[in-house]
Amino acid sequence: MLKGRVDSTSANDVMLCLSNLISAGEKAILVDLGGLLYLTSAAFRVLLVATDEAERGAARLALCNVIGHVRELFEMGGLLDAFTIHGSREEALAQLS
Amino acid sequence: MLPSTAQTAEIVIRNDLAELANLRDGLERIGAELGVPGKPLMQLQVALDEIASNAIKYGWPDGGNHKLCVRITGQQNQIEIEIVDDGREFDPRLAPPPEAAPAGRRRPGGLGIHMVKQLVDRVDYERVGGHNRTVMTKRYARRRESSNSTVEWYAS
Repeated sequence: MLKGRVDSTSANDVMLCLSNLISAGEKAILVDLGGLLYLTSAAFRVLLVATDEAERGAARLALCNVIGHVRELFEMGGLLDAFTIHGSREEALAQLS
Repeated sequence: MLPSTAQTAEIVIRNDLAELANLRDGLERIGAELGVPGKPLMQLQVALDEIASNAIKYGWPDGGNHKLCVRITGQQNQIEIEIVDDGREFDPRLAPPPEAAPAGRRRPGGLGIHMVKQLVDRVDYERVGGHNRTVMTKRYARRRESSNSTVEWYAS
């Protein structure tokens, strides 16, 4: 679950965390954005790269709780179609399992 | 306390991404003093991060120590953020929009500036004396003191 702000200063921490999960062999990764205040293009870049990395490792990366201001930022970036997005955490877990 | 005249704050940072936190916090503080509601404040924080990080990442291909000067001016119903740097010339108004990759997946080049144009009401730019001077302006409806004003802003 991501909380607060993911911007140019913190995006690399998120990348490191996701890369570690992927290289550890996790096959289903869910990123819950419900606690985010906002994210910048640096964060979108990380999520796009991690999605590609996951696919190369035959894993799936999905997002959930993309709501409010955060959803608007996805819309501005034209990025809602670039990710697998589930409504709630429960729905996502049912799909990923 | 509501301001009756313009409030200005200047923040100078080095060309180091870690220093962007100072800009973010400075803008947050000024926004709180001016009573800027959460949504426009968040949009300004994203826009400032995009412009400043872009300058830091691409402005000085040869590296070295440089500075970004940011001046935030808050008035009754609008905030103006001026970013001045001596990096390579870059006019954000002329930046092309991001292109969808042939495979359908969007590659993120140009995404930040594309978002800035939607996040603020106006972007001005001039190259003056070997410096980039970018000015973003955003209007906002000031937060009312009533208890349900926040709900209004978060509802959309």
